[in-house]
This record gives sequence, C-alpha cells and structure tokens, in this order.
Amino acid sequence: MQLLKIDHLSARVAGKQILDGIDLEVGPGEVHAIMGPNGSGKSTLAQVLAGRADYEVTGGSVTFLGRDLLGMAPEERARAGLFLGFQYPVEIPGVNNVYLLKAALNAKRKAAGEPEVDAYEFLGLVRQKMKLMQISESFLTRGVNEGFSGGEKKRNEILQMLVLEPTLAILDETASGIDIDALKIVSERVNSLKDARRSVVLVTHYQRLLNYIVPDRVHVLSRGRILKSGDASLALELERRGYDWVVGEKVA
Amino acid sequence: MSAAAHISGAASRSPALRSFEAQWLAREPDAILPLREQAMGRVLRLGLPGARDESWRYTPLRQLAARSFVDAPPATEEAIAPSASLSLLGVSERVATVLMVNGHPLLPAAIDLTIDGTEISSLKTLACSDPGLLTRFLAPLSDAEETRFGLLNKALFVDGLYVKVKSRTPTPIVILHLATADRPDTVSHPRVIIEAAPGAHATIIEHHVRQGAYTPLCNSATHLALRRGAALDHYRVFASDAESTHFDSLDIVQERDSTCRQFTIVLGGGLVRATLEHLASEPGANLDSYSLLVGHEQRHVDCVNVVRHAAAGTRSRQTARSIASGESRVIFNSKVVVDAGAVRAESQQSLRGLLLSPTAEIDCRPQLEIHADEVKCAHGASIGRLDADMLFYLLSRGLDRETAQTLLVYAFLGEVLAAMTVPTARSAIESALITQLPNPDLLRSLR
Repeated sequence: MQLLKIDHLSARVAGKQILDGIDLEVGPGEVHAIMGPNGSGKSTLAQVLAGRADYEVTGGSVTFLGRDLLGMAPEERARAGLFLGFQYPVEIPGVNNVYLLKAALNAKRKAAGEPEVDAYEFLGLVRQKMKLMQISESFLTRGVNEGFSGGEKKRNEILQMLVLEPTLAILDETASGIDIDALKIVSERVNSLKDARRSVVLVTHYQRLLNYIVPDRVHVLSRGRILKSGDASLALELERRGYDWVVGEKVA
Repeated sequence: MSAAAHISGAASRSPALRSFEAQWLAREPDAILPLREQAMGRVLRLGLPGARDESWRYTPLRQLAARSFVDAPPATEEAIAPSASLSLLGVSERVATVLMVNGHPLLPAAIDLTIDGTEISSLKTLACSDPGLLTRFLAPLSDAEETRFGLLNKALFVDGLYVKVKSRTPTPIVILHLATADRPDTVSHPRVIIEAAPGAHATIIEHHVRQGAYTPLCNSATHLALRRGAALDHYRVFASDAESTHFDSLDIVQERDSTCRQFTIVLGGGLVRATLEHLASEPGANLDSYSLLVGHEQRHVDCVNVVRHAAAGTRSRQTARSIASGESRVIFNSKVVVDAGAVRAESQQSLRGLLLSPTAEIDCRPQLEIHADEVKCAHGASIGRLDADMLFYLLSRGLDRETAQTLLVYAFLGEVLAAMTVPTARSAIESALITQLPNPDLLRSLR
C-alpha cells in the first residue's frame, strides 16, 4: 500500500486556483523531492496536505495510510503521523518550546492508545535531540521560535520532527536560509529518520539540499501541475538547465 | 461647611451629585479645607461626566447619576475580619498587610508599625501633625476634567493611609481595601498617599475586594510621589463583584532618575473606571506601566492613562493587554504628552486587545502630543481574534483546537504576567485570572 496517494488534487486560495490536478504517490521508505519555480504551488501543496483551513480543496482526493486525509482535521493528520516542516515557522511568544513538544508528543501517544510520556524521560529525550541539532540550552526556557534566527527556526522544525517521529515528513524549504553547517546537520537528521516505513517529501526550490538528501523521485511542479517526474538525476539536470527547460518542453 | 452652597445650578444637579453635596455639607472642617472647597466647587460646577465628555463617551453614568448615596459605614476591626480567600498573598508569605475598610485604615492593631524602612500613618493623623505636607500631596497634577472623581475624592475623603518608604524595603506591603456595607447605595472615598524617599525601594500592592451584603460605590484615589532615585513597584488589583462600581484615580509624580513600575489589573467589578495620570517632572524619570484588563460576562472596564514627559531624558513604556469575553466591554485610552523642552524623551505604547466572543467589544486608542524635538515616541494598537497562523502551527503539531486556543489566550497575557516580580502576587493574580478565561482547568494544568 502507498503511504500517500494524491489523486487529481485541485485547490484554491482566496479565489485563485493554485493546484490544478496533482497526481503523486509516495511509497513507504521513499524520499520525494518536489521542485519548481516560485509560485508554482509547492508550498500550497504542503499546506493543503497539512490541513490549512483557508486553502480550499476544489477537487481530487488524498489517501494517507489508507485514510481519507482531506476529511481529517489538521490535528488528526498530525497524530496519524503527518508532519509539516514550515517554510516560515511562526513565533509564539508565551508558549514554551518544551511545553509544545511535550503536548504534541502526548497528543500523538494518546491517539495511539499509549500512556503519556514521563516528564523526566521526556526532558532527557529532548536534550539528546537538541544536542544532535546543536540547539543551545536557552531553547528550553524560550517561547516557540521566539527571537530565533531563520536557521534556528529551521533547526527547531527538525527537532520537532525528531521528537514526533512522523511516518511522513513534508519539509517545506527546510534548506533555505540556513548555512552549510546547519544544512549538513539537518540533512543528517532527515536521513536518519528515513527507514523502511517512514517517508520524506522535500519541497524545495533549489537543488542544494538534494546533494545531502538523495531523493528516490523528483517531480517538477509548475502552475499547479506536475510536469515531469524522474530520478535524482532530474534534479541535477534542472540545476544545469533551469526550470524553463521543463516548462518549455511541456508547452512544445 | 457652606462654601459649596453658593454654587449656582443646584436645581439641575442629578440625585447622585446632590447626595455628594449633602455629604460635603456634613463634613467637619479640617486643616485642608481650602483645597477641599476648591475641589468640591469644581465638581459641582462641572457635574458628573456625561455624553459630551469625550473621555467618558463609552461609559455612560445615567443610571448611577439617578441614585443617591450616603457614606459607607466605617467598620471596626472586631466587626470586620476579611475572609482568608480575599487575600492576594498566602498567609505564610513575608508581606505586611494594612487593612482599609471603606477607606478607613485599621492601623493600631492590624499592622506592625515597624515594617522595615517605612513610616505609616493615617491621613487624619497627618492632617493634624503636618498639614503642609498633606496639602503638597493633594496639589493637582493638571487641569484635566477626566479627574472629576479624583476631585470628588479630595473633597470627601474622611481618612486614608500615608506610607512613607524611607529606604530599601524588601517586604511587599499589601493594602487590602475592603468594601462592605449592610445597605444599598453607599459610597466610600478611600485615599492612599505613598511617598518613596530618595533612593528608597518598595513594592506596594493595593488590592480591592468586597465582602458582606452590599458593595459600596468605591471612589478611590492614590497618589505616588517618587523622590530622586527611588524605585517603586505599585499594583492596583480590582477584584470586586459584578454588582459593584469602582472609580479609581491614580496619580504619579516622578523626580529625577526615579523608576516606577505600575500594574493595573482588572479582574473583577461590574463597572471599573481606572485612570492613571503621570508626571515625569525631572530628567531621567522612568515609568513602566502594565495593564491587564479582563472583560468577563457583563463587565465594563474603562482605563485612561495620561503620561506626561515634562523633563529631558525621561522615558515611559506602556503595555496594555485587554481580553474580552461574554458581553463585556474594555476601553483603553492612552495619551503621551511630551512638553516643550523634554528633549530626548522616549515613549512606547503597546496596546493589544483579544476578543473571545462576538458580543464583546474592545476599544483601544493610543495618542501622542509632542511639543519637543529629538524625541523617540512609538505607539501601536491592535485588536483582534486569535492569530490564525499561530493556531494552525499548534494544530499541525497535533494539539487539539481547544488546547491550542487556550494556550494562545494564555500566551497573550504572558508579557504582563512575566513582568510581575513578586512571585506570590503573580501566582495569585494568575489563579484569579484563569477562572475568567475559557477552560480554566486546562489553564491550571499549563502553569
């Protein structure tokens, strides 16, 4: 069974059609990269999959682990194992980072019929993951993303992913705005998450990230449609020839 | 007393104003009679605030004006033992509590007069021992007509409390204002004067509570005088019941390099009008004003801050967070005035409102009046519902909607709560606050 099956998905935002019939299948243990020029609908696709309410689905269907994803509330999707790493993680002063992590993990455990995590063990787990992500100790007492630099925010997204261990991680431009060291750390962690069960969808404008996380499949999105799919070599070709080549080829 | 009797227009006065005048006529003259006459004369001339008064446009007093009030009874200590639940701070805490009942301080037995570094007396005593000092404290800060209830208090206060902080006082001082009456339609005019001597430090918490069959109309006034280099944290916490009406006039005068952190916290009352009139009279004076205004059920909260920079290099920062649920209404007007000559003055106004129900209403208005060059003045105001991006972020992590919303409400108030440096007071205020927000049980578990 496919982990994620997107069938002819269409969606609009504020009356404007952004997704125009997307078909995509992601199998267990696979890494997919969705690439495309700015405004092609990449982020919209990620947000629609996570359940953002102001994105209106106008057609198609999405199945996640055999369930109708579009019929699930955003929080249900998260508990079922879907994780969105945001392109622009929001700052929430007054809501503590650790509190959010713990509440998120417990929500997931509760949905799976598991007991709440032990507070002491949890803190140990968070510290261990923080160390992996090279996140400073002050993180523990700060508000969610409060005063974080762009790179810190992205590392925090990956930290959350490591704690929640999602079945499907959709990472929206996770590599943008971070330096090369952070990029290596992020990539290492994403690679470590991937196993026979878990899959990753990378939404990215640049090929840079794909040097570190090698995708099984690469899809080129333009004007709300997937124009071309291929293996990892497609990303390299895009790097060399630009997006116009694919868009042009399709038109021709 | 006869001074006010000559003022014309008596026939058109409202029943409330006539009853205040009757109180005035029945007062015994004291050492500050001329000041009181002046104040009462002005109140009678101006009348109670009405629809034509800009600063009162959201707070009509028609119903109140139609009632007549008599003095709330002074209460003896034997008759009044405030129940422990009214205390803001736990009994075990190291605090000094002064009890005031309907404006009358219960000094002899209720207070250990040896609170380190302070001198405490009743205003009655001060009027006899040092009328000149009392007169200086009662001088008006401005001509503003908003302070009508402050004038009324000045004319009619019978007694009150004078606290002089002489040095560094580590123990917070709680002034517990108890409003109580055994009949309807009574009024009290509590007055508190706090003086922080040069270099003195203290925290003073005025806590307004009620007990008994009826709650008097409360018309309280507090004056804070900060001498050079003094640092004062002052809290006024309104925690009365839904039937009660409270007018509170706070004025603050700050001398050179003094620092005042003022908290106005409205957690109770049916109608609460709280004004803050501030004067930074000398260079280097620094004010941090925090307001936490909670509109709940039918509550009506109206706050007015007027902050005046009258000297160079003065600084003020106002942080107001209003939250309104049910059919409540919260109004926050803040005005910063920078006088000519107050160069390098810095002021910030951050006013935010959070609406939790479609029938609640919040009005925020920051104003600036600048007569000097080289000043840095910033202001921002926003009113709205919960932030959709923040909410989606929390949902996307698996939190249920109710928890996510509750967290965000709590976070909204966090900045003001975090600024409270007396942990026990903060904790008590949080506890009281939580009962008026959605999902109190959930909020308790978050603390």
